[in-house]
Amino acid sequence: MSRAKLEKLGLTLPLLPTSTVGSFPKPDYLLQARARFARKEIAQKELEALEKRATEFWVQQQEEIGLDVLVDGEQYRGDMVAYFADIMPGFRMGGLVRSYGNRYYHKPIIVGEIRWPGPMTVKWWKFAQGLTSKPIKGMLTGPYTIMDWSFNDYYTDRKSACLALAGAIRKEVETLVEAGAKVIQIDEPALSVRPEELPFAIEAMQMVTDGVPAYFITHICYGAFEFIYPRMLRFPVHNFDLEMSNSGLDLIGLFKKHPFNKDLSFGVLDVHSHKIESSALVKERIEKALQVIPKEALWVDPDCGLKTRTVEEAQGKLRSMVAAVKEIRQALDKTPKRKQRRIEVGSVVKKRRKKIRKHKYKKMRRRMRHKKK
Amino acid sequence: MELVLANHSSYPRVGASREQQRLRRAYAQRERGEISADDFNRIQDSVVAEVIEEQAHAGCELLTDGQIRWVDSISHLAARLDQVEINGLLRYFDTNFYFRQPVIKGRVAGNGPLVVEEFRYARAVSPRPIKPVLTGPYTLAASSIRETPLYRDLPTLVLDLSEVLAQEVRALAGAGAEVIQVEEPAILKHPKDLRLLHKALKLLSQAKGSSQLALYTYFADATPLYESLQELPVDILGLDFTYAPRLPETIARLGSRKTLGLGLIDGRNTRMEAAPQVFPILEKILPRLSGGIAYLNPSCGLEYLPRDKAVAKLRLMKELRDTFLQRGKR
Ligand SMILES: [Zn+2]
Repeated sequence: MSRAKLEKLGLTLPLLPTSTVGSFPKPDYLLQARARFARKEIAQKELEALEKRATEFWVQQQEEIGLDVLVDGEQYRGDMVAYFADIMPGFRMGGLVRSYGNRYYHKPIIVGEIRWPGPMTVKWWKFAQGLTSKPIKGMLTGPYTIMDWSFNDYYTDRKSACLALAGAIRKEVETLVEAGAKVIQIDEPALSVRPEELPFAIEAMQMVTDGVPAYFITHICYGAFEFIYPRMLRFPVHNFDLEMSNSGLDLIGLFKKHPFNKDLSFGVLDVHSHKIESSALVKERIEKALQVIPKEALWVDPDCGLKTRTVEEAQGKLRSMVAAVKEIRQALDKTPKRKQRRIEVGSVVKKRRKKIRKHKYKKMRRRMRHKKK
Repeated sequence: MELVLANHSSYPRVGASREQQRLRRAYAQRERGEISADDFNRIQDSVVAEVIEEQAHAGCELLTDGQIRWVDSISHLAARLDQVEINGLLRYFDTNFYFRQPVIKGRVAGNGPLVVEEFRYARAVSPRPIKPVLTGPYTLAASSIRETPLYRDLPTLVLDLSEVLAQEVRALAGAGAEVIQVEEPAILKHPKDLRLLHKALKLLSQAKGSSQLALYTYFADATPLYESLQELPVDILGLDFTYAPRLPETIARLGSRKTLGLGLIDGRNTRMEAAPQVFPILEKILPRLSGGIAYLNPSCGLEYLPRDKAVAKLRLMKELRDTFLQRGKR
């Protein structure tokens, strides 16, 4: 349903565009260099040269594997929140907090007014886009998640911290678009954690995306979706990227009850498992998705970032995924027109369209009311 | 009214210094087989003693062992039961902490003491009373995968777990615990199961002997359940005020027949509470409490904070309490 949006942006993508959630494993030489940099044994320049080398490697890998919408692979980032907290004024790095077992991380603390420090990701986006003719996604962490994963000493409450972050992320989005980015992914893995806070998470994302000429994706990791669905459909993005393979695909049942009215990036690879999925298994997963999502609205990708896998595992998994998508595309092409229509417009889908119209109408009315105020 | 300074439950097991990170290193060394189980336990013992000392030094009056030996609040207990296997990671409520999820394969049964030895050690090294902490049967059951037809419904598992935990309560009471804390954060999101919780706590309460049973809930607003919580067979009710803007009013209106644990100090955020936030609440609710005693404690375990902030929160708690009481005298 956002095909028109993509075309307006000058992006022609095949059916079932393939992409990834953002991070790729760092090659050994880069891991070693990062450790040495942390011990102040090498200079920033040396580290950056290796980060560029790794980025080049991953862009080339993605092209070779045949993905449609690429990422820079986040070879220069550690944690998805700490990366931004490190750069943005208003944050200080806090002490160690345990995340599970014997794993600890430094949790950032908001200690002052959050400001946009100038471009945080644009240089890397440009570098990666310079290496390929395929679109590279701009990759950001959303205001709600940065707020939720930080301590807050400064703002009166969680909402004001979140909205302050939204202002800074908005500026980054604008700068990415100025640089030429057309697809921007803003990750909100924390979104499903406190259902009662969904309204201000939506307000924040509205601040980030409103009126910006780009196609927006948001990645949310599996959480208590049953508590925020279908309300989360009000989140102002075009595409939800959801973890599906590791959730036993139970979201499909949810979508049958309340039709999903956005594009869906459907996670088909379990990023926590070393095992490389067969393309037959991936195919099966995609076919299930096609039962509730029209083919024009479906994207295919892994459940989450692949950074915890080995380079070889990541490559193997993505190859399986692309092979499966190619087969399904061929099958969709060969399917006679009438049968295809039936697949597309099953009874569920029909109902869904009606609801979308209703939803749009409601949204329009809401907007008008807003204007009147 | 006596206002006792109590720690909640967990405490950060590592800090900023190399010395304060010895347990983290020991875990890794033990995993690689570089140190023996005895070496590892000695280090764990020393960290328990260290965090007890730290709490006492910060002015805390009812201490915990910091749950330093616990991998997490679910699997530490579940792993010691018969017919339970431990599975992958799952988010612990709305935190950024992950616990290992138990899988129940058959009828659960106790397999020896759970935490009573930990309690004995802590008490032996502590200058002040120690409060042992157990995760409650409802939260344990709700956090588990039930893979046996025996437990097709949740209540059967909750009650079987209650029997196991009742034995532990008996052992802790026998070992001299004055207050035994049972944590049931999960009940706040499932108020329909309050009657089930009542039955479960009754089993625990029958085993408590002369000790006091404390029920602590957190990570959600307890206000809508406040009256029902008052009916439960426990002596102390611990409440998280950080999620509950209307809780002070509710307590002021309804009073409390039970001793309250006032979770007014946010255990999830580093910001230090100030007197103008805390005092009006104390003024409002303390006159409405019976029993002559209340506990002032963090809203949840302190392990969600870095070590320096956790100890600062305990010091702040003492400062606030002392100022508040002196003010009353003037
Ligand atoms: Zn994810």
